[in-house]
Amino acid sequence: MPNAGSPRGGPVLARIASEALSGLEGHPVEVEADVVAAAPAFSIVGLPDAAVQESRERVRAAIVNSAFQFPSRRITVNLAPADLRKQGPSFDLPIALAFLVATGQAADGCDGRGRIAAVGELGLDGSLRPVAGALALAQSLRRRGVRGLLLPAANAAEASLVPGLEVYPGRTLADAVAHLEAGGGEAAPPADLEALLRDGDGDGPDLVDIAGQHHARRALEVAVAGAHNILLTGPPGAGKTMLARRLPGIMPPLTAAEAIEVTRIFSVAGLLPPERPLVTRRPFRAPHHTVSSVGLVGGGGTPRPGEVSLAHLGVLFLDEFPEFRLSALEALRQPLEDGEITISRRLTSLTFPARIMLVAAMNPCPCGYLGDRERDCTCPAHRVRQYAARLSGPLLDRIDLRVDVPRVTPRERRDPVPAESSQEVRARVVRARRTQLRRLCGTGAYANAHMTPRDVRTLCVVERDGIALLDRAYDRLRLSARACDRVVKVAQTIADLDGAGTIGAGHIAESLSYRARGAGEL
Amino acid sequence: MPGYPCRMNARQALGRAAEDAAARHLQERGWRLLSRNARVGRGELDIIARRGTVLAFVEVKARRTSTCGAPEDAVDPRKRHQIARLAELWIAARPWALEGVSDVRFDIVSVDAGVVPCRVRHLPAAFTCDG
Repeated sequence: MPNAGSPRGGPVLARIASEALSGLEGHPVEVEADVVAAAPAFSIVGLPDAAVQESRERVRAAIVNSAFQFPSRRITVNLAPADLRKQGPSFDLPIALAFLVATGQAADGCDGRGRIAAVGELGLDGSLRPVAGALALAQSLRRRGVRGLLLPAANAAEASLVPGLEVYPGRTLADAVAHLEAGGGEAAPPADLEALLRDGDGDGPDLVDIAGQHHARRALEVAVAGAHNILLTGPPGAGKTMLARRLPGIMPPLTAAEAIEVTRIFSVAGLLPPERPLVTRRPFRAPHHTVSSVGLVGGGGTPRPGEVSLAHLGVLFLDEFPEFRLSALEALRQPLEDGEITISRRLTSLTFPARIMLVAAMNPCPCGYLGDRERDCTCPAHRVRQYAARLSGPLLDRIDLRVDVPRVTPRERRDPVPAESSQEVRARVVRARRTQLRRLCGTGAYANAHMTPRDVRTLCVVERDGIALLDRAYDRLRLSARACDRVVKVAQTIADLDGAGTIGAGHIAESLSYRARGAGEL
Repeated sequence: MPGYPCRMNARQALGRAAEDAAARHLQERGWRLLSRNARVGRGELDIIARRGTVLAFVEVKARRTSTCGAPEDAVDPRKRHQIARLAELWIAARPWALEGVSDVRFDIVSVDAGVVPCRVRHLPAAFTCDG
C-alpha cells in the first residue's frame, strides 16, 4: 500500500487488510487509520460492536507496552465497508498495525507483492491471542486471492490447513510488525493433512466394551451403513448412551475434505483445541434435553452454529427424546430433511451445514420399565400415552429404525465370546457405503436414507417373494406409501451389507422388524 | 496574598497562586505560554502552552491537603469533557495555532499547597477527548 504523507507532512493514512466472519463465511474488511494533529481522540467507526469499541483500550496498552509510541493526536480508524457489522476482538491487530503505519513507526513492506491480511486479538502486554474461526477466514482469503495472513501463533496450525495461503504466525505485536515490514517473512510450514488424519483416527470408545445387545448392535450397524436415523427405546441403564457413543467409531473415516468442513464449524464456534488443529473423528454431540431451539439448531443475535451443525457429518444423540422442548424438536425437521439449517435475522440470513445422523433414545414410559422382563411398570396408562404422544408424527416419520434396548442380564454380561470390535463393524459399513455410492451415482445422495421415492422405484430391485411380503405387511400393518418406501430403503441397506444384488424376503422381513418396535407406532 | 485585590476570597487566592506556580514551572522547563485564563465562550482554559511541536492545554489543580485524594483526581470526566470541548473551540477560532504542531495534549499540573514551598507536578497527556 502506498503510504505517502501529505505534502504538509501531517496527516497520514494507512490501510491494512482484514477479514470479518458472518456465520461460516468471510467478508473483506479494510482497516484504515487516519492520524492528524488535533485535540487527541481515538475513535473507531464503521459499525463496530462493543468488543470492537473496547479494542481502543487494548490497542493503546499493547502499543505502549510493545515499546512503541502512542502520540497525542486525533486517531480515526475506519472499518470499511461501513455497512457490514464488525464484531469481536479480531480487529485489534489490524487496527494496531494501521496505527503504527500511520504514525510512521512501521512500514508496510508488501508494496507490489500482493497484500497480506491480519487478524488477531491483543492482550494489554502486546501478546497476540487466538481468534475464533481462523480456518474459515483463511479459506475465504485464499478464495479471494489474498497472498498471506498474519495471525496469532495459536491459530497458525489451523490456518495452514489451507493450501496456497502463506501463514505468518506471531506471538506478539512486535512479531506481527516484523512480518509486515518484511512483506511476509518466514511463513509457517503448510500442514500435512493426511498425516493429521492418520494420527487422529482410531481413538475413542470401542464396541468391544459392550456385552450382549446383539439386536441393537445389528440395528446400529444397519443404521450407520445407510445413514438412517434411529430411535433406541429401553429402560434406564440398559446401555443406550454407551451404544450411541460408539457410533462415530463405526462410521466411515472422515475424508480430508470432510475433516476440513467439520473443523471449520468447530473453529467458528470456538471449540477447537489449539493442540489439535484438525477434527479427525466424526463428531458426537449429545446436548442435554433442556437445550433451547437456538442452542440446538443455531442462531442468536450473532448467529452461531448449533448442536445440529456441530454434529455435521457425525452423530447427534438426543437422550430422553420426549423430554426435549417441542420447539426444539420441531426445529430439527428442516435440517433432517435438507442437511443444512438456514437462520434468518433482521440483517442477514445464514446457512450452516447440518448433515447428521440422528440417534434418539427414550424410555418406553415415564418410569422406564414398560415391557421389562422382570420389573413392573408403575405408570398409569394415560401417562404412557401422553409420553409417547410428545413425539409428533412428522418427526417420528424421519426415523427409519426403532429398536428395543433391553437390560442386559448377568448371564449375557459374562459371555465368554468377546464382542466384535468397532473396526470389524466399520469394515462392513465402509463396504456397504461403497456399494451404495456406485448405485446412487448421479442422484446427489450418498447413502440409502437420502433416496427420493423415485430413486427407490428406479434403483431398488425387490425379489418376487419380497414384494409379496411387502404387500402383506401393507395390508396387515396398514403402512402408508411413504412408510413402504422407508421399509424398502432400510431393506436395501441390509442387502448392501449382505453383498446381495437384489432385495429378498429376508431383507424385507428384517427391515419390517425395525419399524414395529420402539415407540409402538407404525 | 500580596499583590491581589483584597476582594478575592481564600479559595480564589489559592487557585491564583497555584496557576502562577504552574506557569513558572512550565516556563522553567522551556514552555512558551500562549495564553493564561483564556476565555472561550462561557468557559476558561487555565494555561495554553507550546514547546517544540507540542501544543498543550493545561488544567491547574491545587489542594491544601490530600484528604480528598490527589489534585489531579479532581479533574473528573465532566471537567475533562468540558476542557476538550473548549480546546477544540479555541483551535477552531485560531487555525494558525496548529502551524508546525504534531501533537496536541491535555495536561494537568497539580499543585500541592500544603507544603512550603509548594510542590508542583506536571502530568503530560493526562486525558484525551474520549476520557
